[in-house]
Amino acid sequence: MGRLSRAAAAVGRGAARLVPAGRRDWAEAVWAEAHEVSPGLRRLAWRAGGVRLIAREALIARRIGSAMLFAVAVAFVASRAWRGSSANAATLVDRVDVITTVLLLAGLALLARRFFGPARDSRMARLLRVGGYAAILALMLAKASVEQFADAVPQGGVYLRLYRDIQGNGSPASLYHWFGEILFLVIMAGYVAAILWLTSRRSPVVPATLAIGTGAGIVLGVVIYAVAPLGLSESATNPWLPGSGVDPLVALAWMLLLGAPVAAALVAGRRYSGSGSSLPLADAKMRQGIAAGLLANLVGALFVTLLGTGTIALMSKAAWLRHWLYGQHLLGAVAYSHELTASTDAVAYFLICLTFPMIGFGLSALGVVGAWGNSATGPADPRRGGGGPPGPEPAPDPPDGSLLAGVTDDEIGLAVSLLSLHLQGPGIEQDPIAVGLADAAGQPVGTR
Amino acid sequence: MGARSGFSAQTQSVLAALCSQPSQWRHGYALAKQTRLKSGTLYPILIRLADRGLVEACWQDEPVAGRPRRHLYRLTADGLTAAAEALASGDELAAARSGARAARTGRGVEVRVVPWAG
Repeated sequence: MGRLSRAAAAVGRGAARLVPAGRRDWAEAVWAEAHEVSPGLRRLAWRAGGVRLIAREALIARRIGSAMLFAVAVAFVASRAWRGSSANAATLVDRVDVITTVLLLAGLALLARRFFGPARDSRMARLLRVGGYAAILALMLAKASVEQFADAVPQGGVYLRLYRDIQGNGSPASLYHWFGEILFLVIMAGYVAAILWLTSRRSPVVPATLAIGTGAGIVLGVVIYAVAPLGLSESATNPWLPGSGVDPLVALAWMLLLGAPVAAALVAGRRYSGSGSSLPLADAKMRQGIAAGLLANLVGALFVTLLGTGTIALMSKAAWLRHWLYGQHLLGAVAYSHELTASTDAVAYFLICLTFPMIGFGLSALGVVGAWGNSATGPADPRRGGGGPPGPEPAPDPPDGSLLAGVTDDEIGLAVSLLSLHLQGPGIEQDPIAVGLADAAGQPVGTR
Repeated sequence: MGARSGFSAQTQSVLAALCSQPSQWRHGYALAKQTRLKSGTLYPILIRLADRGLVEACWQDEPVAGRPRRHLYRLTADGLTAAAEALASGDELAAARSGARAARTGRGVEVRVVPWAG
């Protein structure tokens, strides 16, 4: 074997390790078979086919595609967020935000792969992961646009007076401003880490739980957005609501905020069958429930933050949107006043991002403890059902042979014949049922 | 060919090769030579057939000295049935096509359409 062939064989063996364990045999098979092919171009062509197979099975193509899509999205967001006058204090903040967010998204994905494994092989998990990443990148874009509008000081006149009234005289890029940015980035890191963990292969959270939590979160996000499409200030940011706490939509939003995580937790817990879990069923159901509740409010918060910040970002650029929001055509200073107020109020969404997942976690934990808390004690026992008092202790095993008490010899002989007919293969002698029956019937195992 | 049985022409050629000696374990290279498929085409087909339970695979027990163990393939009982059906439908289709070709060559002049006539 030439040096080149040995090198190629070594590379092939190494590359085969990229393939998931269940498929590795096939990659190794192509490589082993190459020794049968005549040396030269034919063997090279055979190995090229092996490389194609490995690339395909290792999902390298998908990984390269995902990486390219991510790179394109990042380049687009960075190019948009990078724009802006250097005189605007928000420009520097946004540039730092973009760099940090991209590092977070890429770095946490690599760390998650190292500790939790790759993405779960489920459409729901992939959808949630891609959707979460896309939402965070889009949020960066919207946030940069809103902040640059809010920090752009007008040259003079009535606009400057409005700016001073709404924003005050403080420097936008103050220590307080930077602290807010760091807090925002820490919250986003938490979101990314949670999404990566929930959707990873080693996570115990099943796709059905992901679907329930995400569905509840989208409903919650849409309703909260309808209540507060432009931040949380009542003065200018709830144009289609009277601003009353008893408005039906506001009441629905409160009910959903408190009820959605509990409902998602109970549905996810009830649906979970416990297959493949080493935990007792009640504990496993509680874990699924808490994950669904946390995910509901996490998705809800991200959804409303993205929709709201995006609306505010578009509002300063699109007259039709202002008209649609306020039901009338806003002119000059009035429009500017609303836009600036909304841009300033956008920070309220970050409070939503901070508090919603905590509410979701806490309430879903209370919900599942109420539902399965009483039965979540002791080790796994398939005989244990849901709640209620413990059943009677199982009877001890009877002495040898008495298991077959009441069974006639003819019946035992028939059973042995059937067993020996169907279990002729090696190892039948070690089968305790077959051996027990054969002993009881006084016949050797494996004979008809 | 292939559309009726659900198998591509290449998959049918692999099934036909495996079907020719159904009880024998076959090597990948022998199948490649018989079907004239490249390794990059043959193995994905074998993987799909194995995933569907139509082909079983195992490693050679006693490899030739100095050579790595080889992977072996043969049809399962389901695979044999599916192969027989696929090859039969392929034969029917081929027969239908050759019949149509014969009809065209024999009577083509009579059925030729001239769209602009009339």
